[in-house]
Amino acid sequence: MKQAISRAAALLATMALGAAVPAPGGDLVAQQRERIAARKANPKPKCHVAFVSNGVADFWTIAKAGALAAGRKIGCQVTVEFPGGGLGDQKRMLEDLVTKGIDGVSVSPIDPVNQAEVLQLVAERSFLVTNDSDAPKAPRLCYIGMDNYLAGRMCGELAREGLPKGGKVAIFIGRLEQDNAKRRRQGFIDGLLGRPSDATRYDEPSKPIVEAGYEIVGTWTDSFDRAKAKANIEDVMIKHPDLALVTGLFEYNSTLAVEVFRQAGRSGQIKIAAFDEGADVINGIREGTVLGTVVQDPYMYGYESVRVLEALNRGDASVIPADGMLSIPARVIRRDTVDAFWKDLKDKLEAGRSGKARG
Amino acid sequence: MSALRKNAGILCVLVAVCAAAAIFGDNFLTGYNLTNLTQRSALFGILALGAGLVIATGGIDLSIGSVVCLAGIATPWLLVERGWSPWTAVPTVLAGCAGIGLAHGLLVTRLRLQPFLVTLCGLLLYRGIARWMTGDQSQGFQGEFGALRDVALARFDVPGLAGYRLPATVIPLAMLAVAMAFALHRTVWGRWLLATGRNEAAARYSGVPTARLVTLAYVACSTLAGFGGMLFIFDIGSAQPSDFGNFYELYAIAAAVLGGCSLRGGEVSVTGILLGAATLQVLRTAIILVGLSSQLEFAVIGAVLLVGVAADELVRRWAERRRNRAARGG
Repeated sequence: MKQAISRAAALLATMALGAAVPAPGGDLVAQQRERIAARKANPKPKCHVAFVSNGVADFWTIAKAGALAAGRKIGCQVTVEFPGGGLGDQKRMLEDLVTKGIDGVSVSPIDPVNQAEVLQLVAERSFLVTNDSDAPKAPRLCYIGMDNYLAGRMCGELAREGLPKGGKVAIFIGRLEQDNAKRRRQGFIDGLLGRPSDATRYDEPSKPIVEAGYEIVGTWTDSFDRAKAKANIEDVMIKHPDLALVTGLFEYNSTLAVEVFRQAGRSGQIKIAAFDEGADVINGIREGTVLGTVVQDPYMYGYESVRVLEALNRGDASVIPADGMLSIPARVIRRDTVDAFWKDLKDKLEAGRSGKARG
Repeated sequence: MSALRKNAGILCVLVAVCAAAAIFGDNFLTGYNLTNLTQRSALFGILALGAGLVIATGGIDLSIGSVVCLAGIATPWLLVERGWSPWTAVPTVLAGCAGIGLAHGLLVTRLRLQPFLVTLCGLLLYRGIARWMTGDQSQGFQGEFGALRDVALARFDVPGLAGYRLPATVIPLAMLAVAMAFALHRTVWGRWLLATGRNEAAARYSGVPTARLVTLAYVACSTLAGFGGMLFIFDIGSAQPSDFGNFYELYAIAAAVLGGCSLRGGEVSVTGILLGAATLQVLRTAIILVGLSSQLEFAVIGAVLLVGVAADELVRRWAERRRNRAARGG
């Protein structure tokens, strides 16, 4: 009887919440909430949750350290998967996790729009949250990560600060399919041009933008081929000899910009507003050839993902924020904060690597 | 059909692409751009030379990109993570790649497995090993080993060419190209290799050690891929095992075919291969300098390749018809 009452109460609460926040993905979100409510009466003793990245990078190794640390602290089993082969690989991993009977999945979807089916599958059989890059139309319970638009804006404002008189700017990014890439790029553009915040704005990547004294000459992608990424920077530098600033919106794009300018003997002449914490970028900040870098907190992406998923398996729906976003804000690292940041990062990376066998 | 005419064909394509890039693009004919293009052509040229050798025997090597990855990842991994000296790390990696080629050769010649199948398995195997070995971590030199990286990064001033600096990678490429051209066209082994590619059974019955030659071609191809992978990582500085060298086998094979190697075997032109590799790299750069959408890159490369290969075939038939007519007339 008590169980039935609590279930009905949870259902009512779910309906109330559903009315307050029109949840995308509709029924599947409600279904997941019902299952959370059911878990309250019948909590899973030792749950098994998964953290799935969108690729392979040091960034994800740090996230892994966070996920494993949370797993150890809370006492739940954690599987971490890094899809190395793109979209197809990620889909296979998600399907396999569902097959395995996983209790919750936190995923950074590579292409949320076209992955609707597999994300629905996860939501049907397990609890789905997203991290790092959101899938707002998917039936995810919440998104854990930073607002990529705001982080992009931070990078844009950093660039504006370093280039107050305007000039030619080029954007380099691994790919534009994923939500975080699009938002980050738009945030950068809006921040650089000093536009008011509007995350729904979208400037076509193929068209140059001339505004407020700045000329954004284009956005170049490389599908994660680093030789191609390097060639892109070199070629754009040739096409625009008066290039004043570049931004690399994925980690290696910034790192390669430092490398290319060093090789061309133009370090410091073309400014760099960086993203993430590549070793060369950090050295560039110390030497003054990089303005600064916008860093995320992947450790907390991993940690919070596991904490939220475990709580859901105990029937605790209060971990889901009302607006569906568990914000882990980005930070700007400049010359004065770079050393402290780097030390902390190394420690976390080491923890992720030593956790390899347990992953 | 003469190698000269073949080379003239691909040279025309290269000149046409360069002319188009120079006319419609910005700053194509600057020293810095030409330096970059030379560097990229040299790196892919080394891979393409190996691909050309295997293609000349009538085989194919799909594992080139994965060998590039394994060698390129293993080099900084051994140097930085394991603390090996360059004097041991570099020969070990090259020997490992030669071993890979030997395995391919033996599987193809002794076990009579299809080259496509053997090297396709290799493609999966070596990338898998690289990812497992490094725990999927990106590998880089972390600002060290500058002298070693200069093998790929050093540039030399060329008198009379302001702004152009000859990349050091051209030296190994030139040495390899000369050695390969000499071996193929001036030694009996080279002639035997081409004979094997044209008709393996006939060559074998004539006493040519076909199995040994085919094996040797695979050893050379994998070693060159490994060497190329090392130069790539010296050039880029760091790489990710999951995507480094992806599809590079296709660039190498495309360069070789564009340069006049027949996938049916028995035909190879070293100069043609180098011109083919350069054409592909100029095309990629031209797309940016001309200001075409970079999404069009593969489409443009595919179209130019197709037109080049089709034109080549038409000219070949036309020449053959003329020859036959002349023979009948005579």
